[in-house]
Amino acid sequence: MTTESTLTQAPVRGRPARSVLAGIGAFGALGVYVLISSVELGLWTSLGPGPGLFPFAMGAVLAAMSVLWLLQELKKPSAAAESADGGLVVAVVVSLLVLAAVLDLLGFQLSMFLFLIYHLRIRGKRTWISSLIIALAGSVGAFYAFNYGLNVALPVSAIPALNLIGL
Amino acid sequence: MDTLNELLNGFAAALTWQNLLFAFLGCLLGTIIGVLPGVGPVAGVALLIPLTLNLDPAGSIIMLCAIFYGTQYGGTITSVLLNTPGEASSAITTIDGYAMTKLGRAGSALTIAAVGSFVGGTIATIGLVAAAKPLGELGLLVGPPEFFALMVVGISLLVALAGKSMVKALISGALGLLISMVGIDPVAGAPRFTFGMDRLLDGVSFVAVIVGVFGLSEILSHRKGADAPLVHAPGFRSLLPTGKEWRRSAPAMARGTGVGFGLGLVPGMTGSVSSLLSYVAEKKFSRHRHELGKGAVEGVAGPETANNAHANAALIPLFTLGIPASPTIAVLMGAFLQQGLTPGPSLFTEHSDIAWAIIASLFIGNVLLLLLNVPLVGLWTSILRVPAPILTALILLFMVIGAYTINFSVFDVFVMIGFGLLGLALRHLEIPLAPMVLTLVLGPLMERSLRESLEISQGDFSVFINRPISAVLIALGLLIICSPLLKLRKPKALTEDPEA
Repeated sequence: MTTESTLTQAPVRGRPARSVLAGIGAFGALGVYVLISSVELGLWTSLGPGPGLFPFAMGAVLAAMSVLWLLQELKKPSAAAESADGGLVVAVVVSLLVLAAVLDLLGFQLSMFLFLIYHLRIRGKRTWISSLIIALAGSVGAFYAFNYGLNVALPVSAIPALNLIGL
Repeated sequence: MDTLNELLNGFAAALTWQNLLFAFLGCLLGTIIGVLPGVGPVAGVALLIPLTLNLDPAGSIIMLCAIFYGTQYGGTITSVLLNTPGEASSAITTIDGYAMTKLGRAGSALTIAAVGSFVGGTIATIGLVAAAKPLGELGLLVGPPEFFALMVVGISLLVALAGKSMVKALISGALGLLISMVGIDPVAGAPRFTFGMDRLLDGVSFVAVIVGVFGLSEILSHRKGADAPLVHAPGFRSLLPTGKEWRRSAPAMARGTGVGFGLGLVPGMTGSVSSLLSYVAEKKFSRHRHELGKGAVEGVAGPETANNAHANAALIPLFTLGIPASPTIAVLMGAFLQQGLTPGPSLFTEHSDIAWAIIASLFIGNVLLLLLNVPLVGLWTSILRVPAPILTALILLFMVIGAYTINFSVFDVFVMIGFGLLGLALRHLEIPLAPMVLTLVLGPLMERSLRESLEISQGDFSVFINRPISAVLIALGLLIICSPLLKLRKPKALTEDPEA
């Protein structure tokens, strides 16, 4: 979409989208936070520039640009962007969080196997047989390929019983 | 030793069976990444860094370089066959490439693109060989103020070209710099922005951030019903272009090489800019310009040559000055640093054998790509027939492995997830991601050169203005950043750079 087409297609609304305002607020707040903490770090020492100098400049850019962006939005609100597929975002993010949480406990093979089965069989509605083959290749197969082929060690289970059977 | 001798030694090192295998695997993986619409070259290269962690430095960089230019070609395949660019620098190829497919000349378009890529890539690599020594020596003379000024120019160009709004591009750039500052401050040793977490003392893992912001957020922003349609690979016979098509392509390839090589040298330019400008050049200078848009072979030959010439030429500032010219090169630079190699003039003095082996492997990689891509086009299109859930699951698998293996820590997996959500938010707000990657890598270097400059001058900022080279560069950077205020319009072809 070009700027021109936004202008002609989207009717100019009175107020900027809420998500845009939240974004501007977040960047502005981050900028202010960085400004304050860089001053605490010290902008200048007796030897020359201090650890806070460069972050201070970046905080200033961030804060100034947030203000400019807000002014632009108030003058001419941008068309709301298409939102993402909420179900997909939740499913992927939550499954990744669970995977990361149990990775060291269950080991790479078991936790990745369950993760892949969830995405292939339960979310992706693949057949059991193809889900099982891909999940095994991606968990046990990847574990051995990385361990022995590339010399990169993936985690094994912290539970003795699982560890003993090679997981 | 003269350059030719060192290059020959480089070939001897690159032609070992291990390094050949790495180059081959890199080309293969790169092409796959290029074909997959969901994973761009930036995330792709970052994702595969872990594969190379325990290889020797030369082998690992050879593989990553091969992945990098492999993506350039892979993107062409979907542009031509599907009208969807696999990655941004092939976007312009869709116009005439897809038109050629509708005329039944898909195979010919792919072959011309492969040959063009080979020509552009090889000539640019010859340029790298010629420029390496003199530019490297020049690089050694560059002091911290000039180095800082050069980075300012690169970042301002990228910021100016990225997306529609410079305000948003600046936010992206500042965000990248701030992320790069997390951890122990390099000069005074004070912890910055670590929020009391010991894990953050070493900084945020670069790979985890890139994989999250570019890769995971791409998957998260996938919309329903956006699956790729079925494609059919062209038959082997149709892969041969006619004599007339060859004759028409040659001048377009020559122009494409010039455009791509020239722009590849400029920090801040992306491959998409090169391919767009090469298309513009064809519209101006081609004898068949009236046919452009209706399946003219020049519209494929020019841009495809340009983006590969660009990809290889962009390695020149990286190798000689230590400055990454585009986001993907920035990721490559991150990989160099992981391997303990600092790209820049010292690369040729301290690790000359590795540097030349990598350069030699660029030639080999270009030959491999030519041999691989055209005959295997059936294999590449079959990747597009893999159902989306399987692809998503496998990409997520690689992301988790990629993030975990950088420090062998689950913490980095959480970092990746967090930055995936940040990337999603940035995409939603239409904030371009490219400036952020560049500043993420350049941040520590920029800060170090700024502080060194100020230490030289004992805190006097005029050090940047009193030295002629840095004065010119700083002025140029300011001019670029202020261009919207001065009402300098950027060329229309550049307003929609999808890579930025």
